[in-house]
Amino acid sequence: MSLVQIRGLKKHFDTVRAVDGVDLDIDEGEFLVILGPSGCGKTTLMRMIAGLEKPTAGAISIGGADVTALPPRMRGVSMVFQSYALYPHMNVFNNIAFPLRAQRREKKLDKRAIREKVVNTAGALEIDMLLDRRPRQLSGGQRQRVAIARAMVTQPAVLLLDEPLSNLDAKLRANARDELKDFQRSSNITAVFVTHDQIEAMGLGDRIVVMSEGKIQQIGSPQHIYDDPANEFVATFLGSPSMNMLSVDGHRMGFRPEHFLPKTLNDKPDNSRVFHYYVKRVEYLGSDRLIYGYIQGHDHALTLAKVPSNVRAALDVEGDYQFAVHNNDIKYFDKRTGLRIQPVKAH
Amino acid sequence: MGVLSWILTNFWALLVVALAGVVGSRIAWRVRKYGATREEFSYVLRRSPFYLVVLTFCFFAIAPFLIMFLHTFKTDGDLYRRPQPFVFRQEPTIEHLDALFNNTAYLDFIRNSIVVGVAVVIITLVLSLPAAYALARLTGRWGERAGILMFLVYLVPPTLLFIPMFRIVVLLGLKDSPMSLIVVYPSFTVPFSMWLLQGFFKAVPPELEEAALVDGYNRVGAFLRVVLPLSLPGIISTVVFTFTLTLHEFIYGLVFIANTSQRTLSVGVPTELILGDVYFWQPLLAAALIIAIPVGLAYNLFLDSLVQGFTMGAVKG
Amino acid sequence: MPSLRHPFDNQRLVGTLFLAPALLYIVLIVGFPFLLAIAFGFSDVTVGNTELNFVGLRNFEAVWDNAIFRQVFETTIRFTLISQVFILLFANILAIIFTQDFTGKWFARFIFILPWATPVSLAMIGWLWMLDTKYSPIDYLLLQTGFLGRGGILSDDRNLFWLASPDLAQISVIFVQVWRMTPLATVILMAGLSSIPTDILDQAEVDGSRFMRTLLLIKLPLILPIMVIALLFSMITMFGDMTVVYVLTRGGPVDYTRVLGLYSFQVGIEGGNLAQGAAISLFAFPLLLAMAIFMLRTASRAEVR
Repeated sequence: MSLVQIRGLKKHFDTVRAVDGVDLDIDEGEFLVILGPSGCGKTTLMRMIAGLEKPTAGAISIGGADVTALPPRMRGVSMVFQSYALYPHMNVFNNIAFPLRAQRREKKLDKRAIREKVVNTAGALEIDMLLDRRPRQLSGGQRQRVAIARAMVTQPAVLLLDEPLSNLDAKLRANARDELKDFQRSSNITAVFVTHDQIEAMGLGDRIVVMSEGKIQQIGSPQHIYDDPANEFVATFLGSPSMNMLSVDGHRMGFRPEHFLPKTLNDKPDNSRVFHYYVKRVEYLGSDRLIYGYIQGHDHALTLAKVPSNVRAALDVEGDYQFAVHNNDIKYFDKRTGLRIQPVKAH
Repeated sequence: MGVLSWILTNFWALLVVALAGVVGSRIAWRVRKYGATREEFSYVLRRSPFYLVVLTFCFFAIAPFLIMFLHTFKTDGDLYRRPQPFVFRQEPTIEHLDALFNNTAYLDFIRNSIVVGVAVVIITLVLSLPAAYALARLTGRWGERAGILMFLVYLVPPTLLFIPMFRIVVLLGLKDSPMSLIVVYPSFTVPFSMWLLQGFFKAVPPELEEAALVDGYNRVGAFLRVVLPLSLPGIISTVVFTFTLTLHEFIYGLVFIANTSQRTLSVGVPTELILGDVYFWQPLLAAALIIAIPVGLAYNLFLDSLVQGFTMGAVKG
Repeated sequence: MPSLRHPFDNQRLVGTLFLAPALLYIVLIVGFPFLLAIAFGFSDVTVGNTELNFVGLRNFEAVWDNAIFRQVFETTIRFTLISQVFILLFANILAIIFTQDFTGKWFARFIFILPWATPVSLAMIGWLWMLDTKYSPIDYLLLQTGFLGRGGILSDDRNLFWLASPDLAQISVIFVQVWRMTPLATVILMAGLSSIPTDILDQAEVDGSRFMRTLLLIKLPLILPIMVIALLFSMITMFGDMTVVYVLTRGGPVDYTRVLGLYSFQVGIEGGNLAQGAAISLFAFPLLLAMAIFMLRTASRAEVR
């Protein structure tokens, strides 16, 4: 049975449906990423798991016990906020010790036990030399570790992380991402990570939950949701640049720019779809060339191609070329609902 | 008069009924929403001490005003003979309100207070709007020191200054004229409103002014066309609180002006409506209440804005 | 060639031009009288005789040797300190109450702001009646509940004579000061409480902290600097106030509620001795200044940490 079970969860703020009917199971020890654009309800969903927000409808259970009506302190969850929310007037030691000291009487620890736990947790995150510092004396990366240490010290059932990497600069972020993943693996904690950054989501998640407009669009491994998007939203939200979409035969047809290559490079010409492609503009990205152009018969939809730089084929501006896509790489979606449909027979 | 009289004679009963009505309808609303469960019952029970504390504080805060309200309408006989201050044994009367407005200088006091208040607000705005903007954006270290100086000036109490100021007022020939107050009151309203306005100005994103500068305005133009319109709500609340500061002031008003018809409300009511040892209690209490209610409403209306200006000034200052 | 640069493009110049009028006005209207107050203190000026003759420390010596002045000084300090304890206590409770959501909050806030919104001198008229020697409604309630009257617990009399007995008069004045100044302190603390980031409070909740723990270990330490400012405000307001006692007691009975501001008014204006009046109020200045500097430093140090 899953560690966390969410059933029919809804949260309405007046007329806004922030979360609108979510069912989700989170397995023990997994790293689950909730991905979506801002305003999709991902943070509200996490805050309801934490108990900071009371659901309008639905139920949440953790470890088999219904916690829907329980306050945060009785749920066995901990949370790392985007701002880290370190207590500015306490040093690192007291920050990490705070949740231990706040425990209910029957679980209260003595001074020595608290010291031991704080030092151990700080050691695991390599911040044991910072215990006397105040938050404002720490760097961004150090603050993040303190926040994680404080969240881990009570050995929670679930660790909730609300965009904890977005306050770090780009260079630190990649590093912090790896460390976070390693730490999660070695401690085997169940982690729920909210982000709007798909690269972060792809790199961290065992499974990714894609959300939009308060609803779950798709759940799956990073590769699964990238290769097999369940609907047009997931297809276009993931990937950069995003999937090309064309209206063909009353359907929506999509293929990724990196699958859209000059016909000469195509290894299975008989199982491919060929297009006449007019090149408008070429951008050099170093490892790739990004081509902007139009497919014949689709003059209103700018179509992109991402061609690896080691492909030497000449692609000149204002030239006409033959491009092809494997039929396997073409996805079809219903025009009205946006849902994925089975491939239509080749013409 | 009939309705008022009925309300007054049944005042306490009505108050209890109103309170019970509010509490009852609130509980009924919750029960309809969440059902009459055991948890709901214990929630209401857990919550009630909180409301009890609120009610206790409210009671202490409002007690003198309730008494003012009831006593305004009491006849002399009801008030002084074997007094029962909380109930009406004789028919309520408005003769004392009538007397307050027609036989005393109360209307003069109101007029003087408004004249002084409006003039001081205008002077204060003219001086403090640009100064607050300078403190918020334009000046460096030197301006910061000027800001701290202003704050310290606000902390110098009038009791320290009224004697030399009295001399100056006499020398200027302004004694017994509301002009004296118009000249002197900015000494505390300007630092106060500068401090508040500075907070509101800091809340305006600097990028908006920079955009105006790029669009071809100079600093003064950017201030007039971008900053002032955007901080209008803050400016209005500053006007309200500046006005009430002048309404509250007592010491200067008492010292500078000695003749009845020129006095302001805060000085005139407690000094001129009392003849020697003879207190005209009903008009006195009515005079106080009539001012208290509108000022209280204005404060409540603009309180959030004041808190915001205070926070911005304190946090980013 | 004319410069393309308009003088109003010069930030420093505009800043100076904007600040100068206000600064000048304040220096003239506060700085000058302040210096004059010092000059008065060292002179023999009276209402009748406006010549300034330097008399050295004579006024200050006379004031300091005056037993009434010493008592007044002590009373002022005592009133200020005692009332601050209660003001801070009540203001903290009320600020916590009013930063939460509850039914009827708007109305409750209106009521609790009234004592601060009403001009002091007018509110004091209400208290003058509440504490009246003969007709006090408080006495009436105590009489009805058996605390007063023949065999009463508090007194055999039908009245307590609030403003006529030394102890009760002092208690009354302190109570009324607390009553009228708590709202301002509350509002300042509310500003502090509402400026605490919600993330910090959510974090405390997730960390398992309950209401009292969050209050004592998170909220109060975080608003400490603002609490100091609130304290400073109300202490200086109270120290310089004479309105309350002017309306309620005129300093009586005897000298029991006479405070510095009132005494300086009575000597300087009513008694016509401007020089001594100025000397009396000048005694308060070093104390006020020390208080302000000490508290502002505490506040800024608490913020930097």
